[in-house]
Amino acid sequence: MIRHSITIGWADAPLKRFVDDARLEHAILMHTSGQVLAQVGFQRSIDVQTACALSAAINASADHLGKMVDGHPFTGLHYGGKERQIYLGLLQTPGGPLLLLAVFDTESSLGIVQLYLKELQAHVAAAAPAAEDDSPALAENFESDLNRNLAQLFGRG
Amino acid sequence: MSLVNYATREITCKIVYYGPGRSGKTTNLHYIHGQVPTDRKGQMVSLATQTDRTLFFDFLPIDLGTISGFSTRFQLYTVPGQVYYQTTRKLVLQGADGVVFVADSQSRQLQENIESFQDLHENLAEQGVDARSMPLVVQYNKIDLPEELRTPVPELEDAINFRGVPSFSADALHGPGVFETLRGISEQVLRKLSAGRNG
Repeated sequence: MIRHSITIGWADAPLKRFVDDARLEHAILMHTSGQVLAQVGFQRSIDVQTACALSAAINASADHLGKMVDGHPFTGLHYGGKERQIYLGLLQTPGGPLLLLAVFDTESSLGIVQLYLKELQAHVAAAAPAAEDDSPALAENFESDLNRNLAQLFGRG
Repeated sequence: MSLVNYATREITCKIVYYGPGRSGKTTNLHYIHGQVPTDRKGQMVSLATQTDRTLFFDFLPIDLGTISGFSTRFQLYTVPGQVYYQTTRKLVLQGADGVVFVADSQSRQLQENIESFQDLHENLAEQGVDARSMPLVVQYNKIDLPEELRTPVPELEDAINFRGVPSFSADALHGPGVFETLRGISEQVLRKLSAGRNG
């Protein structure tokens, strides 16, 4: 079944706990297609969306590259920068795989992140709602809101 | 697949600009990026080659404001048009809520348009998506070219738009039709999202 939408908000608490436990700077939990489920530490939602798009692309590329050269997807990517490190890992949940982007500095380490990742997976699996199609009921005249907002965006308002 | 956060009343949708190479997909996003105020857009990310051909995708998040009480954000993606980037096209298409098919009006590009449109349907089918249920609009770009270089729109409609989805003529480089195209796909995506509750 193709789901039209998924409800988010349930993943906030598990991710916040993970960030505190693993002493991260930022973290995003997202769908493998790049749709954000929860985030901690980013100031602007549109920055989160960009980080998700790039993370999903890296994950998808590594997945396919791994299958090509090794017969199995590459998962659990780590990059160590001068001041910050990132870790991209997959969590298996009843609703399907989710992608985690963790950003940390010298307050944490790859080992700590991976250690708490297992706990996060358990907490997320426990918090995840059953699969359901729960689309919002937009007002019948939502087009007027849409037209007005788009016109404003394009300087036509 | 749209994301809905009832706690914060937010909706996030993914729109993919699809079409043959050099049809103007990235140009659409560049124009939108240039029009939208800074506080309503994110950074435009272009994973491109040194010659500015899209290698993986372009990405532009925009904030549409409040619609029916939901703060609504659209994530705009393009796919690489060249035939040999099939794998990356499939990856970008994953989870799309709507597709803008950007056709090149130049007469010599007609066959590329048709093949790309078929490619879109094949890739959707491969992902288990019934193309007939996917919000879709068609944009005939480069309408500013001299008539002798272009395929007339009625002929393009016959060749590409056999489903009769909303279509728009555009000159993405200078802007005409870009706004109308985005509005067209936005309406379809939100209408389907709302109908999904009952349908």
